[in-house]
Amino acid sequence: MHSNPHRLLSVLGLAAAALTTGASLAFFEESLPSTMNPLFAQSMVDNRVHELVMDRIYFNDPINNELVSNIVQEWSLLDSGKSIRLVLRKGVKWQDGEVLGADDICFTVKAMLDPGTPSPIAEKQRAIFAGCTVEKPDVAVVQFTKVFHNPLNRLSVHVLPEHAFGGKTAIQPDHEFSLRPVGTGPMKGSSGRRGTTFEKYKNVHHDAGIDTLSLQEGNDPLVQVKTLINNGVQGIITVPPGNRAEVSAQDDLALKSYDLRSWWFVAVNQEKPYLKDKRVRQALDLIVDRTDLRQLSIGVKPGEQNSPCEFISGPFVQSSPFYNRTVAVNARADKAKAFELLNAAGLKQEGGRWHFKNEPITMRIGMKAPLDIEAPDLLSQVGNQLSAAGFDRQEFKITTDDWNLKVLTGQASEYDLVIGKWSFGLVEDVNPLFHSRKDGRGAFNVFNFTNPQIDTLLAQYEVARTDTQAQDAYHKLHALLAQELPYLFLWKLDTKSAWRTEVRSNTITPYYYWTVFDKWRTGA
Amino acid sequence: MQRWYVRPLVRLIAALLLPAAVPAVITALIWALPGDPAAIICPPEVCSGTEELAKRWNLNDGPVHFFTKWTGDALSGDFGRSWRLQQGAPVAPMLIESIPNTALLVLFSFVPILLGVIGAATRVLPRAADGLLRVLGLPPSVIFALAASAVITIKYGSAAFGDEAERVKLVLGALALGLADAAMAGAVSGVRGLMESERKQRYVRFGILRGEGVLQNTLPNALPAIIGQLRARVLHLLSGAVIVEVVLQINGLGDLLWGGTLYQDFGVVIAAAFGFAVISAALLITQALVEIGVALHVRRAPKAVAS
Amino acid sequence: MSRLISGLFATSCLALLVVMGMFAPEHLAQPDLSMAYASPSELPPFGADNRGRPLLEYAQQGARVVALPSMLGGLVVLFFGTLGGLLACVGSGRAQAAVQGFGEVVGALPRLVVVLVVALLLPQDMRGLTPIALTWALLAAPGAMDEAASVAGRLGGARFVEALRAHGFSRARIYLYHIVALNLRPVVVRQAIETVMQVVFLEIALSYLALSDSQPSFTHNDSVRSWADILYLGYQVILDVETGHALALGLGLVGVVALMSLSVTWAVRAR
Repeated sequence: MHSNPHRLLSVLGLAAAALTTGASLAFFEESLPSTMNPLFAQSMVDNRVHELVMDRIYFNDPINNELVSNIVQEWSLLDSGKSIRLVLRKGVKWQDGEVLGADDICFTVKAMLDPGTPSPIAEKQRAIFAGCTVEKPDVAVVQFTKVFHNPLNRLSVHVLPEHAFGGKTAIQPDHEFSLRPVGTGPMKGSSGRRGTTFEKYKNVHHDAGIDTLSLQEGNDPLVQVKTLINNGVQGIITVPPGNRAEVSAQDDLALKSYDLRSWWFVAVNQEKPYLKDKRVRQALDLIVDRTDLRQLSIGVKPGEQNSPCEFISGPFVQSSPFYNRTVAVNARADKAKAFELLNAAGLKQEGGRWHFKNEPITMRIGMKAPLDIEAPDLLSQVGNQLSAAGFDRQEFKITTDDWNLKVLTGQASEYDLVIGKWSFGLVEDVNPLFHSRKDGRGAFNVFNFTNPQIDTLLAQYEVARTDTQAQDAYHKLHALLAQELPYLFLWKLDTKSAWRTEVRSNTITPYYYWTVFDKWRTGA
Repeated sequence: MQRWYVRPLVRLIAALLLPAAVPAVITALIWALPGDPAAIICPPEVCSGTEELAKRWNLNDGPVHFFTKWTGDALSGDFGRSWRLQQGAPVAPMLIESIPNTALLVLFSFVPILLGVIGAATRVLPRAADGLLRVLGLPPSVIFALAASAVITIKYGSAAFGDEAERVKLVLGALALGLADAAMAGAVSGVRGLMESERKQRYVRFGILRGEGVLQNTLPNALPAIIGQLRARVLHLLSGAVIVEVVLQINGLGDLLWGGTLYQDFGVVIAAAFGFAVISAALLITQALVEIGVALHVRRAPKAVAS
Repeated sequence: MSRLISGLFATSCLALLVVMGMFAPEHLAQPDLSMAYASPSELPPFGADNRGRPLLEYAQQGARVVALPSMLGGLVVLFFGTLGGLLACVGSGRAQAAVQGFGEVVGALPRLVVVLVVALLLPQDMRGLTPIALTWALLAAPGAMDEAASVAGRLGGARFVEALRAHGFSRARIYLYHIVALNLRPVVVRQAIETVMQVVFLEIALSYLALSDSQPSFTHNDSVRSWADILYLGYQVILDVETGHALALGLGLVGVVALMSLSVTWAVRAR
């Protein structure tokens, strides 16, 4: 006779399930939130948890995609669209019992406009909001810096309580609010050293079906899945592709799509002399064999149906209205063509290694370190492919801090290539990624790429008044970027959550995840 | 020739200096790290409040300014709030929560080591056991801790931070710390070697011929060295506690120090380093007191024997 | 076990470590998914990882990461331990007190945090185990000095030197042969070889922590794997992954280092 660890785990799991009271859930997140104050959000985890505790003024309904609000009863445009008048819903309370008023809306706007609030998010909003006045206790008038064709979209900001900050609009990251926020959302949150707990707060506009929610940091994905199977937790926010098969094999677990509109790229540093020439970048694009990369890193076999990973040829996911389907993807490498391009660009191959001006080329390739969980070994595989094509290489993992501080601010000039991922909500605004860095534009232009034609197209998108105009601009942008190649566009990788089947009505909102948490239920 | 009291005296003075010196050294080291926390939260390229934030956190005027401000506040009981590790959380409660956890972890892990040392010194623990201890101590503590962490997470799930799970973590962590990295095996073989060489001294043989016990003769001479070894072991355990606490997610000083350093949360790091220094000072004082006791004992004038 | 056998065994382990490191490939081989989790019999001598890459390459790269830095760290401790013992015999009370006071403060620093700071301070291109090992050794040195001083103290310190001088021995012979070679040797060599082992274990710990905190490696460049990767792969055996061969290899490598340490201690023990 031999002992069976599975049986032991199952018994423990059943015991844990029996002890679980009706309306509480526990789940693994990618990490703990770095802050509970939406003005200082730095990660997707932050963006998600804020959605549980706070209300955004307007948000997209995940079912019909319409812009709706839980706290605004009606709105109207003033000053030919340069201001918007918001009438608040009556009876909405903060989680400490205070009543939500127009002063809170205006406080939020003023806090973002206050230069003493050291927040990149607030800084971005300063280009949108000009001010706010309280017309009545429940009526606020928000002023914009200019007329926007989609003003309600601009109001997707979380509302902050004026009283929690004593009316001081210069909000600091180390305020207690970052730990124990007060919101008008469905759950009251409290952040601890090892996790974040949320308790239901009933309001006129929220009545969550779950009483308590417990967020814990998930470490080893395999341990996370085993714990979920064992009912130690009821959900995992992101399950890496390599662990999805085990989840799918369980009857009491369900994989759920989480639409993050994420796409992966290899940014190319065209400030390096040998990468300046467009032909070299095009050659690199032909050297990278996406099919092999996808198989070796994510485990998708060639020709596999329902692949979680879909190649792209530009800066949008294929399901996006901005994706230009006339631009083909390079699924396979074409080394012969790539070498032709390299030779034409003046590079010479000696002893199997590529040289530029008689110096051998060594590519320094960086990758944001946490991405290795989703796409294990991608860095090595990209390196291997370049090496096989004749480029020496060095590989570096980049910390999240360095990524934010150096890569996103255009100061990572030591790298030739960096591998990263962008995630978008419904608004796929790629202007900050490709616009020249000037006048506050191009805030996330990784290698300070500059191209007047592209800037013109981005400007066209910015002034677009209709969806068609915006799509036209971005379709052209897609085609041009596929030629210029500041990025080698790789793929869209599906993000999947796993939840136990007893968790019901668990609609996952694109990007924000928890927007319609009220409807979530648990139990038989 | 150094007088006998110099060594313990130096230890006592060092013990008094430590609570200020260690945080100061750690501040200087942390300060040298590239990047600064204010710029990480508010990168100057995309955010205009970096300088104000740096000023608020006393980062604007060098490490001395920062350290003196921190010391001044700490003396009045204000350890400030965490900037990044647990943004907004007061540091003092984190410290208060951490010290007992780390102390317990080290204490629990020290028990088997102490028993092993006593066994080796008294020859109760046979030499044959050394091999077994070596094998037990073979896996690095991180692997022990990793396995323990996986088992606890799978078993307790969302209750992995409940009281029971925390107790289990402490026990498993202590086992990992006490056995792994050859901690116990090293201590046992170290003390065994010391005692064996002392036993071979001529004065011990004379003592035996006089009908005295072996330990009675060897221990007073070997004790300062044994205590020195044990203190080194405890310091090693304290250092190893960082790894065990991080992997097992125990809310201890090591975990606080590690997280604070990675996030450049200076206030948290200095506070945790202060906690470490206090524990270290207590160990030094203990060693000094033992040395003084032994020195006084061996210098005691022998009683006159009536003829 | 005789000293000779212990010494030969230790030398063999050391040679194995160095040779493995010398022949380590720059990068791991291309994955071969058909060989994923291959056992040692399927892909000799150690089997394969989850992508079908030989674990032998992991072992070699890991050996290269630890071999030289750990030995350098050991030498530093050997030097400082000897210095501590000699100072105790010289009889300069002030120098001894100053060294001891400095040592007490340095010895009280939380080692791993200082090591982490040093690791984070290093520019990406200079990242490696050597500076970390040297830092670790410097932090471990006060303990070694203290213990060596205790041994020298029990020997009689300056009185021992005077006594031998009275017998007509030269100072060089007294210090190098009678004190260092005959009396300090067991202690300082044990301390040094323990440091070698600690540096190897430290590398494993730091590599794992970097992995778990989504940090770049603190101890080696990111295209190289360390023994921590083998052990991390191996530990998954408790999660029902077929990586028992990796665990055995990882523990085996750690065992070789531990046995080397034991053999050296045995070989240099006092007569």
